[in-house]
Amino acid sequence: MDAIETRHLTKSFGHVTAVNDISFSVKSGEIFGFLGPNGAGKSTTMMILTTLLKPTSGEAFVGGADVSREPKSVRQKIGYVQQDIAVDEYMTGRENLLLHARLSHMPNRMTESRIDEMLSLVELEQKQHEPVVGYSGGMRKRLDIAGGLLHMPDVLFLDEPTVGLDIQTRRKIWDYIRRIHSEYGVTVFLTTHYMEEADSLCDRIGIIDGGRIVAIDSPARMKDALGSEMISLEVARADSDRMLQELQNMAGMLSDIRCDYGSGAITMVASNGTGAVPKIFGAASRCGAAINAISVTRPTLDDVFLHHTGHEIRDEEDSGFSRGLELARKRRRSSGAP
Amino acid sequence: MTPDTPFHASAAYDAYTIFWREIKRYKKSKSGVFIRIIQPAIWIIVVGNTFAGTQPLIESVGFDGQYIEFMAPGVMVLTAIFTSIFGGVNTLWDRRYGFMNKVLTTPISRSSIALGKVAAISLISALQASLILGIALAIGVTFADPLMIAPIMGIVILFSLGFAGISVTIAATAKSQETFWGLINMLGMPLFMLSPALFPLELLPEWLATLAMFNPVTYAVLIIREMMTGVSEGGVAMLAGLGIISAFVVCTVAVAGHVFTRDVNKPF
Repeated sequence: MDAIETRHLTKSFGHVTAVNDISFSVKSGEIFGFLGPNGAGKSTTMMILTTLLKPTSGEAFVGGADVSREPKSVRQKIGYVQQDIAVDEYMTGRENLLLHARLSHMPNRMTESRIDEMLSLVELEQKQHEPVVGYSGGMRKRLDIAGGLLHMPDVLFLDEPTVGLDIQTRRKIWDYIRRIHSEYGVTVFLTTHYMEEADSLCDRIGIIDGGRIVAIDSPARMKDALGSEMISLEVARADSDRMLQELQNMAGMLSDIRCDYGSGAITMVASNGTGAVPKIFGAASRCGAAINAISVTRPTLDDVFLHHTGHEIRDEEDSGFSRGLELARKRRRSSGAP
Repeated sequence: MTPDTPFHASAAYDAYTIFWREIKRYKKSKSGVFIRIIQPAIWIIVVGNTFAGTQPLIESVGFDGQYIEFMAPGVMVLTAIFTSIFGGVNTLWDRRYGFMNKVLTTPISRSSIALGKVAAISLISALQASLILGIALAIGVTFADPLMIAPIMGIVILFSLGFAGISVTIAATAKSQETFWGLINMLGMPLFMLSPALFPLELLPEWLATLAMFNPVTYAVLIIREMMTGVSEGGVAMLAGLGIISAFVVCTVAVAGHVFTRDVNKPF
């Protein structure tokens, strides 16, 4: 049985269709991510799956239970960590988890030991008896995630789990999510507009744009589907002519071969980059050229996103991180391409 | 994933969970306890003494004590009204900062959220009112029968449930903070003024006195004052007043429960 399944799920607010005829399924034990810009319909879909919103039409099932007809049964199977950090500031970390245990109808006998376990997982044991008002943003998020997992849900929903957090905290949260997934085998459904997050965490992603799913697959296969890796190699200046000649004989495998005679750098596009590398070495030894350096650049998830939506993810609100990434990427591209 | 599936908790267990959280928050906001009694303390000390000269007026309706003894029950009710009608503001923050959504994705029964909040607000209201009662006793108000304190607090708790119900309903449906505060202020002060809290009903113009008979505050004031001073006024039997307050409470709490079940998770 799939952990999550939707069929033609649609949600409209007045004239605005936030979620438009979405059908997908998430296998049990998967980390599945919705990747898309703000306003793409990610959170709305998640709010339907967590029973906070009723769909306008279509169906959705979580753990086999219909979100519209059996919301209570769905609520017993899920943990939900929202984009807004929803912890009670007046209470201590431990009290927050105790509240969560009671809200989730956890049997009393297992509450205390589970709270200890979760506090240790998110490394908040030292701070557990302090009011949350003194916690940093990252600590609050960790507490919130601990709450979402406390009652051992079948499916854990994480809405933009690292939005607004600095990069170290972000990586830490990713580690927790990976550990949660590997240690407890819980199915994770997350939304994000960070490429790196979707790429490094998710088994499969759905690219969502304008309320529709435009592509759904594993990040690696999506990138493979784009094909065409960029290979750049450096040979001694004196060898570059001979090397170029050899490479041009491999036309079936390589295309767009360019050479910078000044530096001896040769770039080319390969339909199967890793497969081409040994052949390039073979060509080099045939013509007696010495390869000083070689690199294969795979298409990034940004390229995948651009390919499917026709635009890049823009993030006006949270400029720092993604703007930085984007700049780094552009630098990489302009230096990698001739 | 777990052999320990969630148990099927009763509505009372759920309501207690919410009640527990609200009371915890109250206990941790020491400043809140103080701030909430400033206004009624000013009422009883300033207005109680300023209006001391109106004693002949209250004597004309058969009340033979000091004015401050006449108005002390009124100020207790004032405390109860405002503590409980403002009490729903937590619900507003819960909706704003996502806490409500988190609660709503757990298996807790939704009407129990309203019940737990209303119960906690009512208890807090009674605690605040008892502080005012302490101030009243300190400045010389006496009891006809000290044993009446228990039933008086009982009435305060009951009465506060009603206003807490109103507050929680408004907080659960308000589209903005301004709507909430606007409605709360529009209700609170007129309901207090249109009651015998400060002056006997007999002194009001007839149309206002008639209006006051539709106000649940009127009955709370009359019952508490009768319990404190032993003097009956207003021509309403205590049991009838109690019945009217109970009906008011049942209605407002039922509406609060219904509203929470129906649409507390509307966008805010």
